[in-house]
Amino acid sequence: MPRQSNDELITRWKDEPAPLLPLLHAFHNRDGWISEESIRAVSKGLKIPLAELFGTVTFYHHFSREKPGKSAPRVCTGNVCCLHGGNELLESLKSEGATAMPCAGRCDDMIPVIIDDKAFVGLTKETLVHRATPMPVPNPGGVTECVFSKIREEGRATLEGYRSSGGYRGLEKALAATPQDVIDAVSESKLAGRGGAGFPTGVKWKAVADAPGDPKCIVCNADEGEPGCFKDRTLMDHDPFAVIEGMTLAAFATGAPLGFIYLRYEYPETEAILENAIKDARANGLLGENILGSGLTFDLYVRRGAGAYICGEEGSLLNSLEGKHPFPRNKPPFPVTHGFNDKPTAVNNVETLASVPHIIANGAAWYRDLGLGENAGTKVISLSGDVQRPGNYEIPIGLPLQTLLNDWAGGPLPGRSFQAVTMAGLSGGFLGGENLNITLDDPCIKSKGSFLGAGGIMVFDDSRNMVDAAHDAMEFYAHESCGKCFPCRIGTQRMTERLNGSTPKLTKEEWLAEMNDIGSTMKSTSACGLGMAAPHVTESLMRYFPEQIEAHLNGEA
Amino acid sequence: MISDLDAQKTAKALILTLDGEEVAFEPGETIYEVAERHRREIPTLCYDERLEAFGACRLCIVEVEGIRNPVASCTTKAAEGMIVKTKTDTIEKHRKTLLELVASENRSVDVNQLSGYASQELKILVDRYDARTGRFAGKKSGTSNTKDKNPFILRDYDNCISCYRCVRVCAEREGDYAINVMNRGFNTQIITEFNNDLRDSECTFCGQCVQTCPTGALGDRKALRDSDTEGEIRKTRTICPYCGVGCSVDMLSKGDKIVGVQPAMDGPANEGALCIKGQFAFDFIQNADRLKKPMIRREDGELHECEWEEALDFAAAGFAKVRDKFGRHSVYGIASGRAPHEAAYTMQKYIRATYGTNYIDNCSRA
Ligand SMILES: Cc1cc2nc3c(=O)[nH]c(=O)nc-3n(C[C@H](O)[C@H](O)[C@H](O)COP(=O)(O)O)c2cc1C
Ligand code: SF4
Ligand code: SF4
Ligand code: SF4
Ligand code: FES
Ligand code: FES
Repeated sequence: MPRQSNDELITRWKDEPAPLLPLLHAFHNRDGWISEESIRAVSKGLKIPLAELFGTVTFYHHFSREKPGKSAPRVCTGNVCCLHGGNELLESLKSEGATAMPCAGRCDDMIPVIIDDKAFVGLTKETLVHRATPMPVPNPGGVTECVFSKIREEGRATLEGYRSSGGYRGLEKALAATPQDVIDAVSESKLAGRGGAGFPTGVKWKAVADAPGDPKCIVCNADEGEPGCFKDRTLMDHDPFAVIEGMTLAAFATGAPLGFIYLRYEYPETEAILENAIKDARANGLLGENILGSGLTFDLYVRRGAGAYICGEEGSLLNSLEGKHPFPRNKPPFPVTHGFNDKPTAVNNVETLASVPHIIANGAAWYRDLGLGENAGTKVISLSGDVQRPGNYEIPIGLPLQTLLNDWAGGPLPGRSFQAVTMAGLSGGFLGGENLNITLDDPCIKSKGSFLGAGGIMVFDDSRNMVDAAHDAMEFYAHESCGKCFPCRIGTQRMTERLNGSTPKLTKEEWLAEMNDIGSTMKSTSACGLGMAAPHVTESLMRYFPEQIEAHLNGEA
Repeated sequence: MISDLDAQKTAKALILTLDGEEVAFEPGETIYEVAERHRREIPTLCYDERLEAFGACRLCIVEVEGIRNPVASCTTKAAEGMIVKTKTDTIEKHRKTLLELVASENRSVDVNQLSGYASQELKILVDRYDARTGRFAGKKSGTSNTKDKNPFILRDYDNCISCYRCVRVCAEREGDYAINVMNRGFNTQIITEFNNDLRDSECTFCGQCVQTCPTGALGDRKALRDSDTEGEIRKTRTICPYCGVGCSVDMLSKGDKIVGVQPAMDGPANEGALCIKGQFAFDFIQNADRLKKPMIRREDGELHECEWEEALDFAAAGFAKVRDKFGRHSVYGIASGRAPHEAAYTMQKYIRATYGTNYIDNCSRA
């Protein structure tokens, strides 16, 4: 294809919904980087003030503003990949212009390296391979699954395979009933958000359905930026139609004709899979106008992010979609009344949405009863780090952590024992000692000062230095802090400095007092969940590993 | 009458409890606005009442019963029955920690008052909370751009605390969108497009960003020339002499010397706004080259001082000669935009009645 001109690219995108990101990607793809000239053209084409657009482009770390740009390797140096030699791999690729990137959502595999639009994995430069996202192993506990129940079926990722394995039964059932019936079923199932905050999905949908304003909007949050989480990638790659059907059900329930999937930059292959699935669904009357002959209209667009953890936070995500500087929004108002373009919007996680077709097809009670004891439903846990069989496991909520670690995932590596795990990716901080005996449900985990969140669990065995682990975690937060609010912007930086010893020498008392004061102020006063959650890392470090802190302050390795 | 009274009784006033005291508020008001009306003196750094509340500094946090974390009072709407506490020990401790964190990222909190209208805000709060502790030592944020080639605005971002007031005033009040924020987190930096100098951007050098900056990171370069001039800074309220808008300004002087201008935030015509002329073009007042007497160019081709009487006669004779020779439309009057209504009226009267032409205009129309 001949190189497309600026005008051609702008004409292609300027009248599409949420045009800024795809247009910037179009320039990024064309040239391999985003030049001054490109920014000027986009500014003019979309009528965004130049300085504002420039600031917005610099917000996203994956948009290159110089050569070699997009084709230069980006190597994961997230917490888990550091355990596998991520920094060494980065070093060996430096001659090719490699840069570091935070957790790329593939911690159950070898170290991911993104080059252009391909995600390779490997442990050394010479052995990088391009291969599909790992498929979850059959449930080791033999328990009934929800979102993974059909994912391993042959051809599930094709429309034909999806339909022949029970796909779209939920939507058909819903279309024969009313939107209120769908909302009731989701409410009764007790499905709660799987993106981190755990908000009841039925309540959210009802709020959107009841809110005045059109067009309403469904946003699938596929930003999956939380380190140690790689479940949404697996769901989208191997069961994309479940996500689409889930969004269509949400659209029916709330009355929204428009939807977006906000996909993180690090999943280039997933973008192609989703685009193809959407095309097939549209061609077969499952998206667009008059879906399944019911009169329902719902159209769906994929929008690719460009590297920013904060864009998983719903307000920031919506600003990003709208082409604004992606700071989080002040709440209230919430997206259910003032979301995309200030219209009522349901922002839901991939896993949440992919659960809904199963819930509608099998009934609310079926789903609710999948949990253990008082707990309702299931949760996918992304398990990674120092454990025999890392991977995605769909657990009944309430499963003991030890069962997952030892019986399902094979226990620690030979000769090792578990020292600590993280909860909620990194956002729940560490658990250690006695508290490794928790059950995986929020009442239990919250009583230990943490939470289940998006379900990422990283394992650190007794060979690991936990101050280093905490440092890498805090460095991530500092790198990803959007810079809007003072406690997080400065606090994450100061904490990182105190964990890598780059500050003037502090006594233990000073160190602890400073860390406690920063942590408590961040938790209480930060403007969004990032700054509120980050101190979990340091708090739990101080709680479980005081002797390692002491060694750190005494300059011991 | 009776129905009016009834209406008043039924339209129940909205009430919230502010530090134990029941106070009324209007729909749409924020907690901060209500609290300020009741003189709570809640500290702020990212707040400028002319701008949309942003919620960055978190100093304005208050406790609201039933909500686990404190809320930013500047962005939170007051609601019926809310129970608000503006100054608990916990809140004050967070405020102090926040100020210590902010102080730790700047080169200095003490900046010259001539920097700008709001330039002392950080310093005043740091003193009020006794936050000069040198705690939280570490990397400083912001890269100064003091080489920016312009005579008006100092860009000393070593002292920037990323409150984005400058960015917001430029967009919301000026509509210029000249500046914005680059990067994220601790690396945020105020920039123009492509990080160029201001003169290569949309900047009109109105100085609004300077006047709202709470740290002096943006400074008034012209005023700062007189940093070392002896004397207390005196402020004299007056009206900008440049145009008919009539912006209120405070002239800053030291002794007999005018050293700078600051916009009057309570100026009815400008509400704190100024343009480049009113803000920065004050040097003429005490300039040695300023004309203090009329002058006539005489036979020798040079200008010579004279008295007003003579100058006016000379000009009148000149105009009459032109009119007699070339007709009534040979004269074209342009009234100064600086002239008040009365003078502009007189001017058009003069042109129309004296010459019989409608060739009269005003420079504000140009
Ligand atoms: C810093 C931050 C990052 C987040 N990242 C994600 C994310 O990557 N994916 C996601 O689904 N939710 C993320 N969330 C949560 C979203 O704000 C939102 O609660 C969620 O998408 C709602 O969907 P759910 O109710 O289905 O969980 C994040 C929140 C915060 C504070
Ligand atoms: S807490 Fe951090 S990420 Fe969230 S708004 Fe504040 S600075 Fe941004
Ligand atoms: S001087 Fe005025 S126009 Fe220039 S950056 Fe400041 S606010 Fe914007
Ligand atoms: S330059 Fe001043 S007004 Fe602008 S962000 Fe920095 S401190 Fe705030
Ligand atoms: S993929 Fe590297 S840490 Fe997650
Ligand atoms: S004044 Fe409210 S957050 Fe700054």
